[in-house]
Amino acid sequence: MKQSKSRPLTREQVDQFGAELDALHTRVRDDLGQHDADYIRRVFAAVRYTEAAGRVLLYCWFLPPLWVLGVLLLGLSKILDNMELGHNVIHGQFDWMNDPYLRGRDWEWDIVATGDNWRETHNFRHHTYTNIKGMDDDIGYGLLRLFPEQRWRPFYLFQPLVAVIFALLFEWGVAIQDLRLGRYFKGKMAPGEMAAAFRPVGRKMRRQMIKDYLVFPLLGGPLFLPILAGNALANIMRSLWTYMIIFCGHFTADVDVFPKSVMNGESRGQWYLRQIRGSSNLRGGKLFHILTGNLSHQIEHHLFPTLPANRYGDIAPEVRAICRRYGVHYNTGSLWLQFGQVIWRILRYSFPSKPVPVNRVRLLAE
Amino acid sequence: MSDGVLHKAMAPLVAPPVFDFWVQKINRTLSWERPLARVVGREVTARGTVTLTLKANRHFRGYAAGQHVPVSVEVDGVRLTRTYSPVTPWQGDRRLAITVREVDGGKVSAALVHALSVGDVVELGPAFGDMVLPDGGASRPWLLVAGGSGITPLMCLARALLAENPSADITLMMWARERADLCFSGTFADLRARHPNLRVLPVLTRESRCLPNELSGRPGAELFAAQVPDIATRAVRACGPWGFVETVSSLLAPIAADFDSECFTPPPRATQAGEAVTVTLLRSERQVQVPAGAPLLESLEEQGVQPAYGCRMGVCNTCVCDKRAGTTEHVYNSEQHAEAGPVRLCVNAARSDITLDL
Repeated sequence: MKQSKSRPLTREQVDQFGAELDALHTRVRDDLGQHDADYIRRVFAAVRYTEAAGRVLLYCWFLPPLWVLGVLLLGLSKILDNMELGHNVIHGQFDWMNDPYLRGRDWEWDIVATGDNWRETHNFRHHTYTNIKGMDDDIGYGLLRLFPEQRWRPFYLFQPLVAVIFALLFEWGVAIQDLRLGRYFKGKMAPGEMAAAFRPVGRKMRRQMIKDYLVFPLLGGPLFLPILAGNALANIMRSLWTYMIIFCGHFTADVDVFPKSVMNGESRGQWYLRQIRGSSNLRGGKLFHILTGNLSHQIEHHLFPTLPANRYGDIAPEVRAICRRYGVHYNTGSLWLQFGQVIWRILRYSFPSKPVPVNRVRLLAE
Repeated sequence: MSDGVLHKAMAPLVAPPVFDFWVQKINRTLSWERPLARVVGREVTARGTVTLTLKANRHFRGYAAGQHVPVSVEVDGVRLTRTYSPVTPWQGDRRLAITVREVDGGKVSAALVHALSVGDVVELGPAFGDMVLPDGGASRPWLLVAGGSGITPLMCLARALLAENPSADITLMMWARERADLCFSGTFADLRARHPNLRVLPVLTRESRCLPNELSGRPGAELFAAQVPDIATRAVRACGPWGFVETVSSLLAPIAADFDSECFTPPPRATQAGEAVTVTLLRSERQVQVPAGAPLLESLEEQGVQPAYGCRMGVCNTCVCDKRAGTTEHVYNSEQHAEAGPVRLCVNAARSDITLDL
């Protein structure tokens, strides 16, 4: 079994490493201003215009290329709304603007998952306990085995198929993630408790269904079915894209998972280190980064989840230089390389495998 | 866009940010629920001072004369709010005029005085303040005492009194450093021409030579005795900086027929780490004492308050809470922040008395 690509550091080195990243954070925070405010408002406008254009073009069923363009634009709108707008605003990245319409705590997005569930599973659990087995539900989403540290069960033999279905319905998977259905089916949760937890989720699902699959298709009169299909395709397009980007963020070949014991007395520097070792970046152009919600800069995002994402690209070279100085592996690659590794994990770990030796997850030099 | 039946019926279907985005393509003061106002007039009324006339949309509920209105503008991407007193009474035309003097280093006043021009849009908040006129007040004699920009609510009171009773007996003493700092000179000339019982006495503290109608000196017993011998019959309203109002209050409150005052809130006193500060919790209607410099989340929990929380290290934004007033300090980099806005309780400490929407 291979070793982590990061070299163990002494406690002092880890502290210095953390201090350098803290300083970088403060510097960017102090520099935020009109430029960043204008940026997020441009993204908001782009979501609105692409949605409007996409929805209008869906009514052009009789000119198929326009209908296809409509699907693509609506899908693009949902991707932008999900990633560069919703995900980032919900993190509170633009709270400093003090604009009541761009506040992380109140934000709601065009997806079946509720903003509140996302704040709990993603902002809190995933970002605090990143890649800690048993704490970060994003490790396989309770559905997939992506690391040898996860115990194998025969169910995982169907994993390649499950993974594809999960990708197509990813927004629904995210919607029910916080319900922890696994606990419910194991009898660890009372039906009443589950019903109460489901109520807001059900309300959001209903709202999205009525909007995309009833109201807009009905507005098309005889075009009900083509418009319904267009909405469904746009939603699937968004699910596939977000699934691919999010999986590339934490499930590539060289990322590490950690046991719960890493949390004992974890310093700030160690926390930063865990974020970097549990995340992987994607290379690409400016438009690509925007479409990923700048999650292509997953490492920078995990270090500074509350800094505006439009800054990640600027600070990436500095983060990388800091990592190089401390011998911390900076995991990056093209989308195809990284996603190839994700697919390999999905296939490889559907079969039994041995867990790794402890030193792979060691953060400190002895 | 009124708050009527249609508005209520539509509310579950409408995402206000999306609604506002589209309607503001037509008119930038349209909004689902936010009180916005357009600048329709701008006039320089004294040195470094402009009077802006604003036309509010229907979400703004108006104000009583003497009340204050929060005005928000965006400065370098950040929405900042300051309170101003309209200088004209609220009428059916949905217009309000505010007079703004540029403060040294003041971000909002600089934006309002220099950057804002006719056609721009600002946001308003609900009016507040207790220094309003009693019913039938226009039939009794008044003394209005203004220090510096404390003139603005008193200007509004004077206008409201004169509108109710054109021959109301009003003496207005307004303090300023120099003649060039006096606001509303032209307006007062107009008003005096129409209202014979309005007496306006400018008092200058740093002008070398006074004109015949001007006085000089700081507020003092002799000055008031000489200018307002019938003080015992007058209702007095005073407004200005804290020290000014304290002085006026000690001189006039005991002898006037009726006395009320308001002063500009002094900036929150910075405190040493560990010193006790008061946290006012608006939603739970409580006040608790916490040590300055300690993370707010922990300190509040020790006082039995239970805010929502997650990571407790500034990552997840779960404990974010609206700070309405006061200075906080980030515990990692010690940066202080005196503006209202969202703060994460787990990584911020109080550095003055603060008010939280919690």
